[in-house]
Amino acid sequence: MQGLVKASQPNSNEVQLGIKQMKIRLLTGLLTLLMPAMVMAGEYGLTVDRVKIDTGDFVKEGIGYNGASPGPVMRFKEGENVKINVTNNLDEMTSIHWHGLILPFDQDGVPGISFPGIKPGETFTYEFPIQQAGTYWFHSHSGFQEPDGAYGAIVIEPEGREPFRYDREYVVQLTDKHPHSGDRIMRNLKMMPDYYNREQQTVGEFFSDVSENGLMNTVRDRMAWGDMRMMKADVEDLQGFTGLINGKGPDQNWTGIFEPGERIRLRFINSSAMTYFDIRIPGLDMTVVQADGNNVQPVSVDEFRIGVAETYDVIVRPKDEQAYTIFAESMGRSGYARATLAPEEGMEAAVPKLREAARLTMADMGGMPGMDHGSMAGMDHGNMDMGSSEGVSGMDHSNMGSMDHSNMKGMDHSNMKGMDHSDMSGMDHGSMVMGKEGPSDPFYAKGSGLVPTAANGGKFLSYADLKAQDPLYEDREPTREIELRLTGNMERYTWSINGVKYEDADPIRLKYGERVRFKFVNETMMTHPMHLHGMWSILDVGAGQWNPIKHTVSVNPGTTVYMETEVDEPGQWAFHCHLSYHAAAGMFRKVIVEGGPESTQAKTEVIAEDGGEV
Amino acid sequence: MNVSKLLVAGVAFSMSAGAFAAGAHGGGHGASSGEPGKASEVARTITVEMYDNYYEPEEITVKPGETVRFVVENKGSLVHEFNIGTPAMHESHQKEMMMMVEHGVIQGGKLNHDMMNMDMGNGHSMKHDDPNSVLLEPGQSKEVVWKFSDKGNIEFACNVPGHYQSGMYGDVNFE
Repeated sequence: MQGLVKASQPNSNEVQLGIKQMKIRLLTGLLTLLMPAMVMAGEYGLTVDRVKIDTGDFVKEGIGYNGASPGPVMRFKEGENVKINVTNNLDEMTSIHWHGLILPFDQDGVPGISFPGIKPGETFTYEFPIQQAGTYWFHSHSGFQEPDGAYGAIVIEPEGREPFRYDREYVVQLTDKHPHSGDRIMRNLKMMPDYYNREQQTVGEFFSDVSENGLMNTVRDRMAWGDMRMMKADVEDLQGFTGLINGKGPDQNWTGIFEPGERIRLRFINSSAMTYFDIRIPGLDMTVVQADGNNVQPVSVDEFRIGVAETYDVIVRPKDEQAYTIFAESMGRSGYARATLAPEEGMEAAVPKLREAARLTMADMGGMPGMDHGSMAGMDHGNMDMGSSEGVSGMDHSNMGSMDHSNMKGMDHSNMKGMDHSDMSGMDHGSMVMGKEGPSDPFYAKGSGLVPTAANGGKFLSYADLKAQDPLYEDREPTREIELRLTGNMERYTWSINGVKYEDADPIRLKYGERVRFKFVNETMMTHPMHLHGMWSILDVGAGQWNPIKHTVSVNPGTTVYMETEVDEPGQWAFHCHLSYHAAAGMFRKVIVEGGPESTQAKTEVIAEDGGEV
Repeated sequence: MNVSKLLVAGVAFSMSAGAFAAGAHGGGHGASSGEPGKASEVARTITVEMYDNYYEPEEITVKPGETVRFVVENKGSLVHEFNIGTPAMHESHQKEMMMMVEHGVIQGGKLNHDMMNMDMGNGHSMKHDDPNSVLLEPGQSKEVVWKFSDKGNIEFACNVPGHYQSGMYGDVNFE
């Protein structure tokens, strides 16, 4: 909180205004007179600074706010008008985006879409009303400043009471701090998309798969993956990070203090550039009460997965005089973050070992064009015994060596259509972790290798569990549907929507007042957290009027996810995958809302060209 | 207040009292929450409103041995419970309530009454008719007449999954 300036008292102008009115409109009643003075107006200051970041594993230079990364926790009150002075002490352009906040588009902080950006040495003043409550966060929307450390938390206290109770609360903000700068990571990924992928399958693994599954199966499997421009282990395309919680590495062990028996609200925020985390606190149930700042009907879980840019608020109640570990394993199990809840500083609990890495399966590429879903579903699992030794001995190895992979670069869909599915049916599904008794979740492809399970065998949160506590919008038929295929070519590290990257794409045009149904079809092998700025994403979990509203919707490989948006904010907005390097590679769109209240239109023309990077 | 209704309720209470005592499993261990009260002994009425997901009031004060009529109103838009018991009793009841959700008995703002009466085997059902509690749909109101016994760690609570855990409980203080 250091350096956070807060002036929550009403400013003198408003008090004087109140006095004037008292003279003029003496008879209008005390309440009216008090109104202007009662509107809270907080003034806050943030400086954008070069800072040192120490993860315990390495020290690097980065970017922070008010001299530190993460920046301060900004605490607002619903109904307050905030004024935030942001001073850029960098020698490059900067910006701050208030992630998840509903505000006028010119305060949204996306250079080139909301405003030109903040020049070095300049102070930009954001001003907007706080119209919501909950846990959110803020971050730079310029270049790779956010992965470099430019992020912080936002906590908004509601006007009324919370629909739950707790004795104390902590922000638990996660990130995946990498020793390399964002610019360098992007360069490396562009040059060699598997640069940071340590989990690649090895030659040794190939031969062990051969002995287990038979050569033909193994070769077919690898060939199919090669066609996809993906490697089977591409759960995470950025490994080698240290997981941080509130800026502390696992050994630095951020600790939240509690008294046994207290209810503690933990506000989890995933501010990672690229990493999804599976979070658990061994020994404690977690009751999820909020997702993306919006209250949900409470659901008790043993573990949950938090996508990049999502937030989840949970309530825990440690009853014993002991320490508990908050353990956040990355989805691909290449790293973790760790913190502690304890009755006193210095106490620790056991830190679990990382579980075995998840492996993508054929099901996860079920969304790829040209794949025949029907025939896959119809596969006879009973006939999986292809791995006979005769098959191996009968193979001509020399032919394999001549396989020309370079021809696949063009990703010829027509060739893929020609894939012989009858052969696929002979594939040994056992080797692909496609077990029929495996865990299932409607938001993962059937048979997906990514379906999470709780370490203790208990309940793992699914999107399907999220129901709005108090629906913000009335349920109604959408006026139209917009299909957005999430596309990419891993070989060239290009990421796009409908096959077109941001620079080459026309904006998505919406009409003020309509309700649009977005259909996300993930045709890649990676999970994409899709973030629409400025307007809520009503996630279709099949609960009708109880569908939860979010700001970030995670779309798993090989799945189709629907969300609806009430187009109730004029202006122009960003809409993108929140994985930093996917957004930068082009999985990004500008959304233009046409129509709406007069006063808010046309200003979009003012936005200058400079600072146009996003 | 309709006296005959209360009498009928009283009979129902006594019928399931045995099952209740077994479920509570605390009577003999000094952690009793009290017993079904007699309408004739009601000393006062306390109105408890249920919202999503909290009570108003969130604490009450009673005398040991006092019989209280609770008028419980569900003013929320979800199903809620008012249940008097010790934390341990609530915890074991939460498992039953979880089963009710899993079987579709409790569906957000609705109760499936057919399902509640269904025979679950071994004479069990999901009627939810213990005398120390009521389970209400939005807009419903019902009464609980309860005689508090000795002092103890007693809470009124909603054991719909997640509700107690997120703070839908109230404290019973003894004078």
